[in-house]
Amino acid sequence: MAGLAAAFGSGAMTNSIAEVEEAELFFITGTNTTAQHPLIGTRIINATERGAKIILADPRKIQLADYADIHLRHNIGTDVALLNGIMNIIIEEDIYDREYVEERTENFDQLKAVVGRYTPRVVEQITGVRASDLEDAARAYATTEKAMLLYAMGITQHATGTDNVKTCANLAMLTGHVGRPSTGVNPLRGQNNVQGACDMGGLPNVFSGYQQVANEEVRKKFEEAWGVENLDGKVGLTITKMMAAAQKGDLNALYIMGENPMLSDPDSSHIELALSNLDFLVVQDIFLSETARLADVVLPATSFAEKSGTYTNTERKVQIAHKAIDPPGSAMDDWQIVCEVSRRSGYPMHYGSTGEILKEINELTPSYAGITRERLVTGYGLQWPCPTEEHPGTPYLHKGKFTKGLGSFLPCDFKPVSEVPDEEYDFLLTTGRVYYHFHTGTMTRRISILDREAPEPLVEINPDDARRLGIRNNDGIELISRRGAIKAKAEVTDRVPQRVVFSTFHFHEAPVNLLTNPVFDPVSGIPEYKGCAVRVRRCA
Amino acid sequence: MKILARKDLADVLKNWSDSYDVFAPGIKETGDIIFDRFDADTFTLDYGKPSLPQKSEFLPQSEVIFEMKEGEYREVLAGNGKVLFGMRACDVMGMRQSGNFMGRDVADPYYKAKEEEVLRVVMACSGPQNETCFCTTVGSGPSAERGFDLQFYDLGDEFLVEAGSERGKQLIDDDPFEAVDDAEAGTRKEKFTEQASMAVEKVPAVREAMERLRDGSVSETVWDYFGRKCIICGGCAFVCPTCTCFNVSDYVTKRGEGLRVRSWDACLFGGFTREASGHNPRGTQALRVKRRHEHKLLYFNETDILEGLCGCVGCGRCSDYCPVHIGTLEVVQAIAEE
Repeated sequence: MAGLAAAFGSGAMTNSIAEVEEAELFFITGTNTTAQHPLIGTRIINATERGAKIILADPRKIQLADYADIHLRHNIGTDVALLNGIMNIIIEEDIYDREYVEERTENFDQLKAVVGRYTPRVVEQITGVRASDLEDAARAYATTEKAMLLYAMGITQHATGTDNVKTCANLAMLTGHVGRPSTGVNPLRGQNNVQGACDMGGLPNVFSGYQQVANEEVRKKFEEAWGVENLDGKVGLTITKMMAAAQKGDLNALYIMGENPMLSDPDSSHIELALSNLDFLVVQDIFLSETARLADVVLPATSFAEKSGTYTNTERKVQIAHKAIDPPGSAMDDWQIVCEVSRRSGYPMHYGSTGEILKEINELTPSYAGITRERLVTGYGLQWPCPTEEHPGTPYLHKGKFTKGLGSFLPCDFKPVSEVPDEEYDFLLTTGRVYYHFHTGTMTRRISILDREAPEPLVEINPDDARRLGIRNNDGIELISRRGAIKAKAEVTDRVPQRVVFSTFHFHEAPVNLLTNPVFDPVSGIPEYKGCAVRVRRCA
Repeated sequence: MKILARKDLADVLKNWSDSYDVFAPGIKETGDIIFDRFDADTFTLDYGKPSLPQKSEFLPQSEVIFEMKEGEYREVLAGNGKVLFGMRACDVMGMRQSGNFMGRDVADPYYKAKEEEVLRVVMACSGPQNETCFCTTVGSGPSAERGFDLQFYDLGDEFLVEAGSERGKQLIDDDPFEAVDDAEAGTRKEKFTEQASMAVEKVPAVREAMERLRDGSVSETVWDYFGRKCIICGGCAFVCPTCTCFNVSDYVTKRGEGLRVRSWDACLFGGFTREASGHNPRGTQALRVKRRHEHKLLYFNETDILEGLCGCVGCGRCSDYCPVHIGTLEVVQAIAEE
């Protein structure tokens, strides 16, 4: 999100899900769309039946590979080189959108200088992608009018995540693919409300609507609204920095809501150390997760079906949901718990309902000002920015002009994964999710049919590697990294290329994040889940 | 048969609500039609095809079949007097086929307990409700021939009301239902159904596909095409009036206490047929899609389909909802065109 905010002035999906239907070409990278955003995936499949083309840049042979016209199976972590190589060809062949670049962007010369170094031959060596495929992809993307670029965590979960995003933005701007329907740079968010959580200021540096905490005027506005003085203008810590601080003893207490870092954070044996080093840990969740088990206080919250409120989805659309069933036991809505904790801490909050909270959001957040409860209950949601009650919402951003004025080319150089395989750790482990489970399985592993469909952790390994190591399908194997080891069953499949293994972080039985490398993107703080060195051996 | 003035319908439903849980179509603020407890303020007759068949009345999406408490287990058998107003004929056929399946060999007590308590009130269709209706092809509509307690024929200012059971007859015994000359009513009903049947286009590809499946002349290419794009959501099975497969699972609620629950399942899921050894006789999505459609069009049980053509009742919902268009209509078309 930081990368897109820097390039365009707004860190969100530029276009809308419905526009997928009208697109003529998709550049899909780092998103296993049919598995993780299945309904967006189906729109892509339907579009191909209508004649739309797919350029897929993914090391794995995912379901959409069956539909791809060009499948670039680049080496893990070489996204910047791949995209720079494509831009190199586009500039070299003079098929970039000259008028768009001149009128709507800045910094083109710098981009040209950087990508100039990424000739097809150089890129072939770094990425393993044939120069001819690269050329086909470059020409198809540059010359198609309605070309949508879609990405997800395969782009962001690298130590170079922000660079990867900036490079995606560069490519889209170079070809004039931002600011029109069925185009754009479209990060598909991994959770139903992660966009909403960011929009509401669930980040260390902003209040709601990305209003900076460092800005005194902004602080003053919130101080007045909340009847307090001296709101802290200091930027807080990202989750990964919190863990480091806890381990060092610089952080004493942590209040975690709906997150299970014991399984989801990299190098999880250190996470356990960090959490146990706290004086006080509070976990608010709907089930007793691995993290909640370590807490001093567990606050039971309500599930989606037991509460009312709004969610903001990946396309910036705010939608309202109504409570369907009563919560069990003493579970309360998250907002009620927060109000109660706040009251007992000496700051009474006076919200009577989620509607009243939304009203405050409308008053304090310009991009949400027109997204009122009244409008949400009688329609199917509104997309921000929606500054007034008459505003219809914004299906696509940056029409005619970027949010920040001129779009900035922010060229980046390729940096390899932090932990390159060597003789001892000779495989690259990349992690992700399967269709049937959500995150650490706190919810989905309690659903009998979902757990039946994917009951145990599997490690995908290429048939050639498997043969060499004497591993057959369903054999037990051990993955060992510099930080830990896990055992799981092998799934021998050409879905993964040679010297790459893939596994998921859903299973506490084989917590893959014991292995992952705790290096972080310097800007966003996102960990490098998508590549670390491991060795593989067959075990009983 | 009886006659009911249109203006009296809402009052009738309100009266029935005194003795039954009456479910009827209602229109929500967003314009969505939902079948829910009768509410005079939201009640509408302009509801087209209900978004779901009413199969969950007898086979809920998820239901507790027994509880374990204090060292004993207690079976949960529940049914309560319910009127389903506004059912469509295709769904009644689906309910009857499923009821037959759940009743033969060993009767399913949980299903049957609910089935006995429900009164089915059909609103006969005067034509297709949308472009995917094909009841006339499979012999399930546009009006029901049996299996209903009451059937309404919409004649404009009034409804012709036909009783299909003793319980149904009692519901329309009194005012404001008015007696009508049987011969005249019969003629009007005949005219209504004749026009309605003509309005619902036949889909010859259904029979063609059934024949080709019987011949064994359908190539795997068809199934590969559909299997490749299936996203395994199971939605086609969940909206199908004749899909009744379920899975059984146990949950511990407290130490020494627990529940046995059954929930909808679907043959589109790999785990549905995966064996304990790990082997899966339907090992690819293409084979699973094939299995589902063969079950409806080829391997149905002759006694379960009653007067219908096959195990599909032509409601068209799989075609309405499948996000990648793998519905019966698309499948039979692909087979017929192959």
